Amino acid sequence: MPRPMDTAAETARAEARAEDARVAELCRAGNLEAYEELYRTQSSKMKSIAMNLLGNKHDAEDVVQETFLKIHRGIKHFKGQSAFSTWTYRILVNCCYDMRRRKVRRQETPEQDLVEENETFEAPAVASDHPLRLMLEKCVAELTPHLRSVFLLYEVEGFKHSEIGAILGISEMASKNALYQGKRKLREMLSVRGSQVAVSDAGECV
Amino acid sequence: MKDEMKKEREFQCSDLEHARMEDTPKLRTALELHASDCAACREELRIWREISAAARTMRKDWPAPALWPQIQGALETEIAKPRGWRAWIGGAQVAPGLRWQTALAVLALMLVSSTSVWLLMRHTTPAQPADTHLLTDQAVQQVEQAEKAYEQSIDKLSKLADAKLQDPSTPLMANYREKLDLLDAAITDCRANLDKNRANAHLREELLSFYQEKQQTLEQVLREE
Repeated sequence: MPRPMDTAAETARAEARAEDARVAELCRAGNLEAYEELYRTQSSKMKSIAMNLLGNKHDAEDVVQETFLKIHRGIKHFKGQSAFSTWTYRILVNCCYDMRRRKVRRQETPEQDLVEENETFEAPAVASDHPLRLMLEKCVAELTPHLRSVFLLYEVEGFKHSEIGAILGISEMASKNALYQGKRKLREMLSVRGSQVAVSDAGECV
Repeated sequence: MKDEMKKEREFQCSDLEHARMEDTPKLRTALELHASDCAACREELRIWREISAAARTMRKDWPAPALWPQIQGALETEIAKPRGWRAWIGGAQVAPGLRWQTALAVLALMLVSSTSVWLLMRHTTPAQPADTHLLTDQAVQQVEQAEKAYEQSIDKLSKLADAKLQDPSTPLMANYREKLDLLDAAITDCRANLDKNRANAHLREELLSFYQEKQQTLEQVLREE
């Protein structure tokens, strides 16, 4: 017999799915209010992902705008195989990749230099900061785009591996693997940089 | 239950990497149980958790009151625009960097279409009916069979290219995908017109040119590294 909490969670999930489909249908019909609703519910997360992937507010806002235009242009191809919101994040991440490539090509500088140019990260909105945050942000910026995306989507934005798989077009297992690789690299980088938090006194496991 | 507990207790330091990669609830519990007795693994787990805790504070938010009005304006303009392949041919939805490629593609399509029509008219014998654009019933059947076979071959090509086209990290693939979508729209449009006028040779030639363009595009996709 299902527990009341399970049933409530399932009902909430079903309602969210129905709402997601409703917004998708209205967007398909070119309803601006539906786009506004999408903006209201998703833009905060969209801005955060773009900001962490691109490193500055201006580019992040440009990419969010581009994402909405691409949603409108591509909505006829949305088949509902994933949640509409997941599909929109997939477009967002692709737009971020495109913008990074355009910038690298235009400036003919390697990705890493581009990251260093954009070091002025904003303070987070959350009240409780973490002593490791600034150093971690620098290390995250040095990860490969794929590992960085998985780390940001999972650890920062709280997506599940199944959702990350749908956003990045990879399997759930590949997402788990990339997260593990990313965190392992971050741990190494933090140790090299002498972070108090990451330097283990206990030594490596045998 | 006892067996399960025993299994969890059997967790070794060497299982740490595997547990972190797989990250299943069962392995997580086993790791935690093991870490309560193993200082080295406990420390590793602490660092791992510190990274996660710090990551949660990396979430960015800032007020952007001008952003929605900008998006709304851009969407209104976009919604008012004509859509579909005709708009694309007009360059309405193409990024400035791709305009010359679009122009080139349109030019190539026009060249192929006009050459085909010219060749068809040139080779028409005087004994044919006066309207050279109208095909006979038998010819229509033959052409339709050939088209069907051609369409099937292109479908096979499409299936081969599909994996590459779904690659989300390549902007070039996104461009190819967009071009193919528009060609499909043009083909559907052309076919709808042909349903009303099956014997129109000009429309048949136009359809052929779209198929050729699709075939070439798919071949280019398959050639891409």
